[in-house]
Amino acid sequence: MAEKLKRTQLYDWHRKHGDLVEFVGWEMPVRFTDIREEHMAVRDAVGIFDTSNMSRFIIKGLQAREFLQTLTTNNVSKLKVNRGHYTTCLNDNAGMHDDLMLYRVEDDEYIWVTNAANGPKIHAHLMKHSKDFEVEVEDKSRDITMIAVQGPMAMSLLNKLTVQDLSEYGRFTCNHVKLAGYDCYLCRTGYTGEDGAEILVLDTPSTEEGKRRAIGFWEELLKQGENLGVKPCGLGARDSTRLEAGLVLYGHELNEETSPLEARIPYAVKFKVDPHYIGYDELKRQKTEGVEKTRIGIVMIDRGIPRDPYPVLLRGEPIGEVTSGVMSPLLRKGIGLAYVKPGLVSNGDIVEVDIKGRLRKAEVAGWPFYDSEKYGASRSV
Amino acid sequence: MIPRSTVQVEVFDIPFDLKVTCHSPGTSGAAKMSEGSNVPENLMYNKEHEWVRIEGDLVIVGITDYAQNALHEITFVELPEVGSTVEANTECGLVESMKASSDIFAPVSGEITEVNTQLEDAPELVNEDPYGQGWMMKIKPSNLDEEKKALMDSKAYAEYTESE
Repeated sequence: MAEKLKRTQLYDWHRKHGDLVEFVGWEMPVRFTDIREEHMAVRDAVGIFDTSNMSRFIIKGLQAREFLQTLTTNNVSKLKVNRGHYTTCLNDNAGMHDDLMLYRVEDDEYIWVTNAANGPKIHAHLMKHSKDFEVEVEDKSRDITMIAVQGPMAMSLLNKLTVQDLSEYGRFTCNHVKLAGYDCYLCRTGYTGEDGAEILVLDTPSTEEGKRRAIGFWEELLKQGENLGVKPCGLGARDSTRLEAGLVLYGHELNEETSPLEARIPYAVKFKVDPHYIGYDELKRQKTEGVEKTRIGIVMIDRGIPRDPYPVLLRGEPIGEVTSGVMSPLLRKGIGLAYVKPGLVSNGDIVEVDIKGRLRKAEVAGWPFYDSEKYGASRSV
Repeated sequence: MIPRSTVQVEVFDIPFDLKVTCHSPGTSGAAKMSEGSNVPENLMYNKEHEWVRIEGDLVIVGITDYAQNALHEITFVELPEVGSTVEANTECGLVESMKASSDIFAPVSGEITEVNTQLEDAPELVNEDPYGQGWMMKIKPSNLDEEKKALMDSKAYAEYTESE
């Protein structure tokens, strides 16, 4: 393996316990035991993921709000202190530079968490535009470890790490808390469809001491979570859980040629914003005149797993392409996301997926793909 | 069976290509990757990590222990149709695992006389017993004498996997 691959503060632990792969320039664990076991721990109990390969930028200054509204599509004015929201960052043509979580931690201070693959691109974008505003951008990616704690038992696990009552922190809040003696931001967000949190463990740089601290926190989660059924999870379960929830992934569903309206993530987009963000006019035009393509979910009826970039057909005519797919551990069927021409199919319709020359039937379906009465953050049982 | 003759599995639907690295998990109980994989002496092998056993006038084909370890958790196997003809070193099927998607190549040319239909409902047999119940297809070879020169014996294959 090439020396130049980047490693998170938890690398030494991953190397000892996991099966490592290259992922967008990072050497990361794909699994620790079995992907399906890790997946089911997230659905039934709690799983922990090292997401430190993502980039984290601190943005502060008197014009932080204006700056961020210029660059992102959700309504930054509506983002209160100690809250986070999902948003996107567009180019002039309303294609996506990235999707991201934006957290407001002080009046004039925000944390921008962006995809690992897009870290350098976004950093350059932020630096370029920051010159026009009274704002400072600081890349804190290497100083902060980020761990996602996800699943129905996630908050029970985190409650064991503090005397503070965490139940006051609802979904999409972001608060400075002490967990197991570590200074953290507890962000009540995630990428699995389940309840839980993404934790920024502060003061864990890539030094020997920082790595020791980061691994100490990770192992504390495993120790405290043992009787709750906690499992360390790799990229395999990260991909399968996000796909079952129907969540988009940059490089697959999202790219510079795809708009958030086409991606069907309308909650990331607002039009009553001031100032208008980059890409606003084109996005507004798409909202009025319609989009060129639209994202759909598919569940295989026949055997097989839809994969990027298998063609999707309707009555033999190509209408689009698969962008992601996996064998769903809950459904025990192949599931996937695809882009098709708009207006041709709706949920329940049957399409075909061309799996290496063989046409296989699949049903167009909404997301999440699982039964949200039984799984996911809004489960009732 | 694994593309580009290495265990660079063209992967998984995490973005871009993931590559399986050469060292295996430690204490977690996960399968060993490159070390200690089982390479039976009585079989022949190709660079796609497939094994070949000659039985009478038929050739039986499957994927190696090394390959099933690298793929892990196999969830789906697509095999060619019985009666179809295949050409050596061309794609004729697909193995999917939770981690990767990988093509199956025909190790020799000929006609498919039988495929292991048990794998439709129990693809995990390939993980559990890659040289036995996890066999994939039987080929009536059309050019075996020539084509088998390109195959490796167990010693050469073991060395090949170690060098990967």
